[in-house]
Amino acid sequence: MTRVIGSRLLSTVLVLFGVSLIVFLLLQMVPGDPAVTILGSGATADAVAALRSQLGLDRSLPVQFFSYLGGLLHGDLGRSLTISAPVTDIMLPRFANTLILTGAALLLCIVIAVPLGVIAANGQYGIFDRASMMISLAGASVPVYWFGLLLIGIFSITLGWLPTSGMYNPRFPGGAGDLLAHLVLPAIAAALVPLAVIARMTRSVMIDILAQDYIRTLRASGLSTTSVLWRHALRNALPPIVNIIGLQVGYLLGGVVFVEVVFGWPGLGQQLYTSITQRDIPVVQAGVLFIALAFVIINLIADVAVGLLDPRTRRRAGS
Amino acid sequence: MTHGTRRSSAARLLAACLAVLLGIAVLAGCARAPVHTGNVLVIAIESEADVLDPQVAGGWVTWRINHQIFEPLVDEDLTIPSKDATVPPLKPGLAASWDISKDGLDYTFHIRRGVKFHDGTPLNAQAVEYNIRRMWDKNSPQYSVKAAGQTNFVWKFVDNVATIDDYTLKVHLKQPFSEFLRMLAQGGNGSTAIMSPTALKTYGADIGDHPVGTGPFKFKERIRGERIDLVRNDDYWGTVPSIDGVVFRPLPDPSARTAALRSGDVDIIAVPNPDSIDNLVKEGYQLSEGIPPHVWYLSFNMRDKYTSIPQVREAINLAIDRQGMADDLLRGSVKPALGVQALSAGGYVERKDAYDRNLAKARQLLASVGLANGFETTLITSTDGSGQIMPTQMAEFIQENLAEIGIKLKIQTQEWISYLGVWARGMQDGVGMAQMSWGMTSPYWLYIVTSSELQAPNGPNVGYYANPALDRAMDNAIKALDPQEADRWWRQANNIVSDDAALVPIVNDKAPYVLAPYVSGFVSASEEWYDLTKVRLKQ
Repeated sequence: MTRVIGSRLLSTVLVLFGVSLIVFLLLQMVPGDPAVTILGSGATADAVAALRSQLGLDRSLPVQFFSYLGGLLHGDLGRSLTISAPVTDIMLPRFANTLILTGAALLLCIVIAVPLGVIAANGQYGIFDRASMMISLAGASVPVYWFGLLLIGIFSITLGWLPTSGMYNPRFPGGAGDLLAHLVLPAIAAALVPLAVIARMTRSVMIDILAQDYIRTLRASGLSTTSVLWRHALRNALPPIVNIIGLQVGYLLGGVVFVEVVFGWPGLGQQLYTSITQRDIPVVQAGVLFIALAFVIINLIADVAVGLLDPRTRRRAGS
Repeated sequence: MTHGTRRSSAARLLAACLAVLLGIAVLAGCARAPVHTGNVLVIAIESEADVLDPQVAGGWVTWRINHQIFEPLVDEDLTIPSKDATVPPLKPGLAASWDISKDGLDYTFHIRRGVKFHDGTPLNAQAVEYNIRRMWDKNSPQYSVKAAGQTNFVWKFVDNVATIDDYTLKVHLKQPFSEFLRMLAQGGNGSTAIMSPTALKTYGADIGDHPVGTGPFKFKERIRGERIDLVRNDDYWGTVPSIDGVVFRPLPDPSARTAALRSGDVDIIAVPNPDSIDNLVKEGYQLSEGIPPHVWYLSFNMRDKYTSIPQVREAINLAIDRQGMADDLLRGSVKPALGVQALSAGGYVERKDAYDRNLAKARQLLASVGLANGFETTLITSTDGSGQIMPTQMAEFIQENLAEIGIKLKIQTQEWISYLGVWARGMQDGVGMAQMSWGMTSPYWLYIVTSSELQAPNGPNVGYYANPALDRAMDNAIKALDPQEADRWWRQANNIVSDDAALVPIVNDKAPYVLAPYVSGFVSASEEWYDLTKVRLKQ
């Protein structure tokens, strides 16, 4: 297992190098000049040239890229071209905010989707199964943007229970309670699609397992339905469920940008979108690096968790 | 589990769902709790602000914030609504008064006494000179390429700056510049607002995170993407604000801004969706509009075989249904543009003859140059962007208008930043028109967009327009020592551009804001930014 983790970490470095190179090249291909962006419509050619020189944009592409890479090795992600601040100062808080949102959404997914899938599988083709799967199908098909606005309309505007946007009350910023109140609606909106996917996957895996002989044997030996379902069947269903949860985290990190826009959540996705439109290359590179890193680490954790849950995988990894 | 048990649990689930829905419906009828503002004004803005360094920052969104913290030497009185002052009058800012030499070359500013920056640094002539050199003097250690790039049109004619004594500063110009004072009061694309020299020296490149000015509000905190908090400056030299503070909250999505206003999370929203304004007003919210110096316009490519013909340009100007666009497409959130510049720019000339729709004359003009069957050309515009309103839909509206006189218009769009780069390069072969939205309360803006010496890529004259008569008129206006004479020349310049049909002004934005019912004292002046010192939150 240790060897597997070691090789995965090594490949992570290569992935991150590849990702930063591709992002750098892609941003060079898109039209638009950060110097013109900064100076706006009134810019004169002289002013643009002077600013390009100051920002180092007049250097050759390899020099720009390797200079960035050199800084990266020293933990320096560079300075934003448009915000006049170190990239780390901009992106780390944003990344933390996105992790809070995706973490809460993930928690909702696991707490709701797994039991939903298990109960639905147990009563296959029953009313609960049909209703819950229909709802989850609808959930997977609903545009997150629209669903977010619907939540705001009901719970913020009509009922006034929860705030519409942001992370904290702008007038009286509070502590954890304030954050939680602001987190509820975006977390629900962000959880919608992965919740539906995980619930359907759990149901499908559980149906397969519940049809196996050892389950019939367990039932015949007099074990209660609860024990069969939750202690025996679910445990065997967990490895594929954990795998799909790992993949859904990736989806959450990438797809949370819509939720961040609707709910004014100051996360990575929102900043990334703004920086792409401004050709702020250092910020975009850092944002993509963070997401790639999180994706790789979370999937590594999921793989390790699967190994721990399934002795067969552990043995395969060891051999 | 038996079939019957499953059915009963399903029934219980359904009943529970119904109960929740019923509960929501009942609670929906309950009155919402009143908003507790804590005497702090929250404004939802349309995008994240740029850096809080007024000399370096670009865009009106950021200057609306910086303007609360920083002040220039000469300011505009924004407590007067547009209907009472089409051009906001100038007023002393950090300069209590000024003298201009008879030859118009020397400006002597008498710096306001007893003013301190928010960090306690006293305001004096040395502090002002330090700031000016940051924007203008390449040889000074504090020189900032960005600040110089943003403010170059203000300092273009400056020859020298000298501190005479602690409270007197002299700026010597190379030639008279009639719009110098007005340009000192501009924001948006860079501002000449004065920053604490102590803070500039202490924080260097990170000054934007530590903005220290002299304005009515002090910087408290910025959480990027979340909010910018300002608190009242109780030691302010002018009218101390009534509110305790102001929070600028970036909410890029218009629906999210509207929702935040309705829920009481914010008190004012910028750039409301035109479709939501009527409903908000019916619900009791207040609409505040002005006539800021905003022009949504097209430039012609003077090197194109069609748009280089004056009759073609005139025909296009006459074919566009500006009133229809303002009323139908944009629901009254803009005014049809009937002059080259906005009403709030000095030297405004209304030219209904050139800009009111007249299809018969347009067709006649095209026929007179052998283009009765029309031609095909391309318009470039953006899909979004600061001040651009709804560029794609507006371009499509123009496309339909021009089709009526036989002109087949192809539209090429790019997202804002890509477009800005393409636009700044100047129009390429095959492109007949390029769109932009911009403006200033100074008629000097006309020089910036039409002067032959600022043809792209050297400046914003992206259609390569060159008219010696116009250049002469604008030069005379710039050098005029008598304001009335300058005004006459600017009017002539406006007329030349209209006669030559060099630009196509389409609409002027009204910069609508929607305010909660308990907000008072917010004034929409003839500017793109606002003064918050008189705002009150009545509850």
